[in-house]
Amino acid sequence: MDAKQREIADKIKDILVENLRLPAEDLTDDAKLFGDDIGLDSVDSLEIIAGIDQEFGVSMMGVDREHFQTIETLSAYVLANLEN
Amino acid sequence: MDDRIVITGLGLICAVGGNADECFDNALAGKVGIKEVESVEHSGCYAHIGGEYTKFKTPAGEDRASALCIKAAEEAVADSGLDVTKDADRVGVMIGSCVGGAVTIEKFYRDYVADPDKASGDDVLKMPISAIANNVALRFGARGVIDNVANACAAGTMSVAMAADLIRSGKADAMIAGGSDPMSSLAFSGFHALHALDDEPCRPFNKSKGIALGEGAGILIVESYEHAKARGAKIYCEILGSGVSCDAHHITAPAPDGEGMQSAMARAIENSGLKADDIDYVNAHGTGTPLNDSSELGAMLRIFGDGGKVSASSTKSMVGHCLGAAGSVEAVLCVKAIERGMVPPTVGYTDEDKAAMREKAGDFDFVPNKGKKREVGYVQSNNYAFGGNNASIIYAKEGAARKLAKPTDERVFVTGLGIVSPLGNTVEKYVEAINSGFEANKCEKCGDFVSTVGADDFAAVGIKLNFYRKLDKLSQMTCVSGKLALADAGIEVNEENATKIGIIAGTSDGPQTDIANFQKGIIANGTQSGSAFLFPNTVYNAAPGYLSISAGVKGYNVTYSNGAASGLAATAYSPRVLRTTQNDVILAVGADEDSDTVHMLYEKLGAVGSGMKLGDGAVTIVLEKETSADKRGAKKYAEVLGSGFAHSDVKFGEYGSAGSMKKAVDSALFESGVKAADIGLVLTCSNGLKSLSDIENEALKEFENAEKASVKALCGEGRAASSALEVAHASLMLSGKIGRTAAKYALVVSASAGGSFNAVVLKKI
Repeated sequence: MDAKQREIADKIKDILVENLRLPAEDLTDDAKLFGDDIGLDSVDSLEIIAGIDQEFGVSMMGVDREHFQTIETLSAYVLANLEN
Repeated sequence: MDDRIVITGLGLICAVGGNADECFDNALAGKVGIKEVESVEHSGCYAHIGGEYTKFKTPAGEDRASALCIKAAEEAVADSGLDVTKDADRVGVMIGSCVGGAVTIEKFYRDYVADPDKASGDDVLKMPISAIANNVALRFGARGVIDNVANACAAGTMSVAMAADLIRSGKADAMIAGGSDPMSSLAFSGFHALHALDDEPCRPFNKSKGIALGEGAGILIVESYEHAKARGAKIYCEILGSGVSCDAHHITAPAPDGEGMQSAMARAIENSGLKADDIDYVNAHGTGTPLNDSSELGAMLRIFGDGGKVSASSTKSMVGHCLGAAGSVEAVLCVKAIERGMVPPTVGYTDEDKAAMREKAGDFDFVPNKGKKREVGYVQSNNYAFGGNNASIIYAKEGAARKLAKPTDERVFVTGLGIVSPLGNTVEKYVEAINSGFEANKCEKCGDFVSTVGADDFAAVGIKLNFYRKLDKLSQMTCVSGKLALADAGIEVNEENATKIGIIAGTSDGPQTDIANFQKGIIANGTQSGSAFLFPNTVYNAAPGYLSISAGVKGYNVTYSNGAASGLAATAYSPRVLRTTQNDVILAVGADEDSDTVHMLYEKLGAVGSGMKLGDGAVTIVLEKETSADKRGAKKYAEVLGSGFAHSDVKFGEYGSAGSMKKAVDSALFESGVKAADIGLVLTCSNGLKSLSDIENEALKEFENAEKASVKALCGEGRAASSALEVAHASLMLSGKIGRTAAKYALVVSASAGGSFNAVVLKKI
């Protein structure tokens, strides 16, 4: 993960902690957000989409599920779709 | 008494009209009231439409929820010719609402964000759901049972069912019943965040992508047949049985199998002594969300088949989804359908749609596009809500054949307790704290008495992090207390008993903290940026909804909100439910939370600083039928003998009179068959405010010699949590766990700011 993606990943982590009341210590970059590790559901994914849209101006509505797997995949998607 | 309950007056205001006839005529014609929303800023949203009644302007100084409700109630009372003040003690009010004073909530937090001093205490009094029924009672001078049903989108059906049941149980002769909800940024933003709004007018059961929000109020004058006959009232129709169930599946989504919906419908039919074949018209919930519509259609097809004998429509396709008012708006349309022999349609179906519908539902009749004439003897109206709550009720032509289930004479016992309090969590810790004279936990910053629930509490009752992290404090405390209560009662929930365990919850202020958090978020970032995570927590029935999911209980599930006495109301209402439904066990919960937000609200009201200390907590009383308790050899803390309700029609926020409190007490004693002189223990409700102490001292004079106990002196004014804790404390005293009382009978009293008083009598085993 380069510095730019690191910065994005940390911001996404803050969104998850703040908006989804998740414990920061459980949120490693590769923790499976929707699997057994964290156990998020569809309402949580709406919150993630809204948080990312607001923070980065990147819309993830309707984006393939694979990009929602981990903080790493989310940050990679945001990085790839950031304007400028 | 006779179990015949009739409807004698109607009032309605919603997107398609300002009175019952106008609304029904427009609905029959398939007129759609859904258009661009005016009262909510939605420029950044993907959807822009809803069903408002913009001709009705909220009078200055009032909140829209109460104003809409009073408008509809004025029409209904005039229509019925009922003279409310003639026998005010026998006339009650039961109002369903989801968002309550949401319009004022937005105003309050806009003011607050701009300048905390600018936000006014007068506005705080317009925010809670509690206010609505009290304002209606004040307008008409009603002094009977006053309460609000706060089960989100099922509230308006439950309130009418409860009104009928209160009359059947002898607690009132007539009730002003229904529901009210305004268009609000809270609901618009919340459903937007969940992507549950449709950007086109919804076409339920067909091609909808979501709901169109509505607003309005529907009021019915519900009356005993004798009372109506004696005063020569016009009778529209009768109310037969009802059914309430809970999915225990998800906080916002219905269970896909529609099993809970089906069981509520089946119970309503069965409780009325009917067969599915008898039903002529169904007013479906039909919100237009794909999840609701597919679950509900499945449930209807299983009950009625696809032969087309029954007609079913969703009037939400014209008026929008009025949330807590929906069931009552639809109730008025159902009654009109019976009166006129005409059923309203579901609109928006093209010929292509109709062909597609035939593929999925055979000849099932959705009454496409235009209302039609048909025989309407029996009508079923259904509503489903966040929290997985399902409600169904049957209306029938006057004199139509039916056979209502008769109430049993089962005794009802307290067989378990779950306590989350500032004195500790679990019965054991609470008893130890009381018997050892420990001091209650206090907030260091504000001095309030506060309960705490932490990882250990959740672990002890088997609730995992990925569940409890979503919950606000109110829901967390409720889940822990409910699960502790089941454990204390020795009840393991399994497939066999799940549908026989229900919840009746009471809360004064509901989830005010997450309501504030949600509202502040959209004030800062716009309606389009509401939190999908927080929104489910903003409904008052979220806490018992989460409890039903975490405990797996699928029986009755109703949440009441009328101030501090709501926790006692939960216990007071339960025996009747146990005697008239399939439920063996009711978890009677009283819960209210404290937080910086709640503390600030009570400061604005001037209560904090006038001698009252806030508290919080959640207390669950396991109430069980004797047959069920004996069959499993349950321990019994106490027996619930009877209850009483009375109300003073005072301004919301003020306490009523000593005379009203005494009436509530006298009626509880009368129902219990206990003399005042035999009461050895009284659980008092004074909270440090002089106005309430004066009332209580005066009202309880005849109990001078009885032992007194006050949980509020120990744990603060925890509102509904306190009034439920009074029941738990009395049960623990009568069973010898606390103190050494010689009392055989205990009287528990509670008062709500707004004028209502509740009383319950408990008996030592």
